[in-house]
Order: sequence, then C-alpha cells, then structure tokens
Amino acid sequence: MTTSTGPLVLPGEALDPSLIPSHPKHPLRLGPGLRHIPPSDIVPTVAGQLTTNSHKNSLWVEANSNRYIPQQNDPILATLLRTAPDSYLLTLSPHTAPASLPHLAFEGATKKTRPILSPGQLVYARVALANKHMDPELECVNPATGKADGLGPITGPGCAFDISLGFARRLLMARSREEGGVGVLEMLAGEEPGITGGGLSFETAVGRNGRVWVGSESAATVIVVGRALQETDRNGLGMEGQRRFVKKLLREMK
Amino acid sequence: MTATAAPEAALGVLPRADGSAKYSHAGYTVTASVNGPIEAQRRDELASEAHVDVIVRPAAGVGGTRERHLEVILQSSLSQIILVKNFPRSLIQIVLQVEDSPENDYVNTKIVQASLNFAVMPALMQTAVLALLSAGVPMKATATATAVAIARVDGAKKITVDPSPRDIETAQSVHVLAFTSHDELLLAESEGDFTIGEWDEVYETAKGICCRPAAAAKEGMAMVLDDDDAGGTDMRQFLRSTMESKVAADLHWK
Repeated sequence: MTTSTGPLVLPGEALDPSLIPSHPKHPLRLGPGLRHIPPSDIVPTVAGQLTTNSHKNSLWVEANSNRYIPQQNDPILATLLRTAPDSYLLTLSPHTAPASLPHLAFEGATKKTRPILSPGQLVYARVALANKHMDPELECVNPATGKADGLGPITGPGCAFDISLGFARRLLMARSREEGGVGVLEMLAGEEPGITGGGLSFETAVGRNGRVWVGSESAATVIVVGRALQETDRNGLGMEGQRRFVKKLLREMK
Repeated sequence: MTATAAPEAALGVLPRADGSAKYSHAGYTVTASVNGPIEAQRRDELASEAHVDVIVRPAAGVGGTRERHLEVILQSSLSQIILVKNFPRSLIQIVLQVEDSPENDYVNTKIVQASLNFAVMPALMQTAVLALLSAGVPMKATATATAVAIARVDGAKKITVDPSPRDIETAQSVHVLAFTSHDELLLAESEGDFTIGEWDEVYETAKGICCRPAAAAKEGMAMVLDDDDAGGTDMRQFLRSTMESKVAADLHWK
C-alpha cells in the first residue's frame, strides 16, 4: 500500500511538514480539499482525513459530501433538460447551472447522423471542461480515439438512484471490493459463495455526481440492487452488514 | 445563573440538504441546513464570487427586523471564511431555524412572537459553521463564537459568559465576539453602555474561550477566567471532536 492516512484536518489548519510526501522526480500533486497559497503554504479547505500517496507524490483530503462540483475527466450520469441549437443541456445535480453536451460529441456523430435525444434521457458522459467561470462541458467520446468507451445515452429498462459522492467514488474504484469496501453488487450477482438466491442479472453505470443507474429486464432486480446500494451508503454498512442485508433482500424477493 | 451545560451537536440531521447540523448550547437549540454551491437568482448573482444567503427563522412566528439584522451580521462574517471566490455566480444558502431558546424565569412570556436577541448569535454562528463543514463547502478557516455580558452587582463589575435572558436584562452591556481558527477577530457586536477598558476585558475573556490552544487548555482556563467561576467550554476543541466523529463515520470503510 502506497497510500497512507494522516490525521483529521479542519479548514485553515497548518499541516505538519512531515506529513507532506517528497519524491525525487515527481512534482507534488494536490488533490481535492487542499489549496496552495503561494509561495509555499498548503492549507486544507474542507474537514476530512488527510491522505497521502508517496508513490505518486500526491496528497488530498478524504471526505464525504452531497454536492457535486464538476472536475475534468469525471464520469457522470446526467439528465437531459433541453436541446440548444448545437448542443444538449444536461443537469448534473439539482439547482445547478446546466452542463452542455455538443451534438457532435458522440461516437461517429456527424451533422447528418447524430443521436436524437429527448428531455429526461439519462446520459453517461465525461466532463470535458470544468472551469469555475463557465458552465461545465461534457463529451460522450474519447477525443483521442474517437471511440465511445462505454459512454453515451443510456437505453434499456432501468432506474437511477441517488447516492453520496463518497460512495460513488468507492464504487468507481478499480478494486471497489478490496479498497472501497463495497461488495453488494458481487453478492447480488451471485459471485460470492455462501449467498443463496443470488445470480441476478443487471448492469450499472456509476456517475461521480452521486447517481447510479441500475438496468435489468426485471423490475424487481432493479429495485433490489438500488435499495442495496442506497442502504449500504446511508447506513454505512460494513462487509458483514452488506452480506446480511443482501441475504434479507434476496429472501424477500422470493 | 449561567447555563453551563456543555454544547451538543449532531451533523447531517437533514437527509435532503447538502449539509446540516443541530447545535444546542446555553439553552439555545438551532438547526441549520446548507445548500450550495447552487445556481443563484439573477438579482443575487455576483460576477466574481459566491453569494452567501443567510436566513434566520425564529422559534415562533415569522422573522422580522431583528432577524434581518442578525442575517446581515452573519452573512458578512460567514462570507469572510467561505472561499467565495471559488464559486463565482453561484449561491450558498444557509437556513438557520431557532428551535428553542432559554426561558426567563422572572418574566411570564407568551411565545407568540419569539424575539431574538444578541445572545442567540453565538449559537447561530456555531451552527452555521458546523453545517458548512458538514456540507464540505470550501472554507479559509473555521470560526468559534461566544457571548459575554457585563453587569454591575453592588457596584462591582461582573462578567458573565453565555448569559441567560435574566443576565441580559440586568446587564449593562452585551457583547458577541467570534474568532477564526487563526485567532483573528471575525465578528464583534456590542449593545449597551461600556468603556474601552471593559471591552478589552470582554475581548480577552471571549478570546480565552474561542481561541484556547489545544495543549494549554487547562492552564488557559484558570488564567483567563479566574474571575468567573462559570468558565466556558473550549469551543475549538468541541468543533474538532464533533468533526472527528463525523469523518470517522464517513470513512468507516477504510
């Protein structure tokens, strides 16, 4: 493990210099919750746990919140509000300015062939531009390769659920089970031994903006998976708690 | 008599808000919700910074001129500690609902229109700061606040921390002071007759409560408050321990 957890920090507190990692080659990278005041002060801006990664020479403040602030390259799940002349306007979180998604930012889209979306459509997209002075811009295509990479309008039966931002980050971890401590999806899919009645078939799309879409042909499966995710988030269930809750849900499903 | 009950706080009490806190101290109970940064209305929009909107609601009835006065004072103080420049053209909304205020044992009061006075200011300020921390709104520093009353008892001067309604009635002057976590004076409001010398004493007393260094907590209390047995709680330590339990609950999966 190259990440190590530090103490609790509150906004404006001075950081102990011994906690700041140093690396001979990489420049120091500051993550969320920290700000750099030139020339040499690093000050936390939110309350949370200071976390450092000595390998990448980075540090950030780990905290949970509910309000999404767009950051470049985040995968997000947005709802289409309306169509503008050359872009779609989508909402990332309630009561915030809409983000724009150009009509041509889809895989293989040209002026003649572009996906026609209607208001209310869910779109899985990436934040292409996030700037505090401008409304965010999205894209559903990798600009380097021209491929969709799994992004695009979400089709098929399913439902979107609201979760906290910290839980969304945990679900998006490459090894969410080992590092993030979320195992409900594997348990429901029947990949965990000792849980009978699993083996549900469903798909998910997790957005960093605190929304997760669960799709399945069976409405009962969508509800069960969504409930399992929300319950794990709100009640802070650990691995054992998740196992117990999944068993209970599966029992009720029959 | 001063209500010497230790302050109590709970964070995240309102599930729908981005951040919320319930705080009770010295007979006052206040619940706050924070939403933001969200889209500001055209008339509130500021081109280069976030607009901080504070709404104070009394325990009974609707808010009047007093509440507007408290709102203006809180709004200007809180804008100083929130990093408003990070969110231009947006709005950070703070709603403070007073739930309970101490009763005056000497006067029969009908709660038709609960009138707020200065003594509620520290509770409002503290609740707002806790709710902002709970919402993860980026801030320059945290803040702590306290109220101090000066009364003349048989010609002798008596300084009361966290005065009760009776203390305020008999007091010559009431002062509310708030300090940032960098020991800077954030807010100083006074009413009544007092001299510069008295104000200096009030300042020192309030500073002793709000800005006690963590290590010297014990000596500081004895030194600064030796003329006041009621003493006061170490507000900064209280803020820290409240946030510690919140962060620990959020990061239970680590």
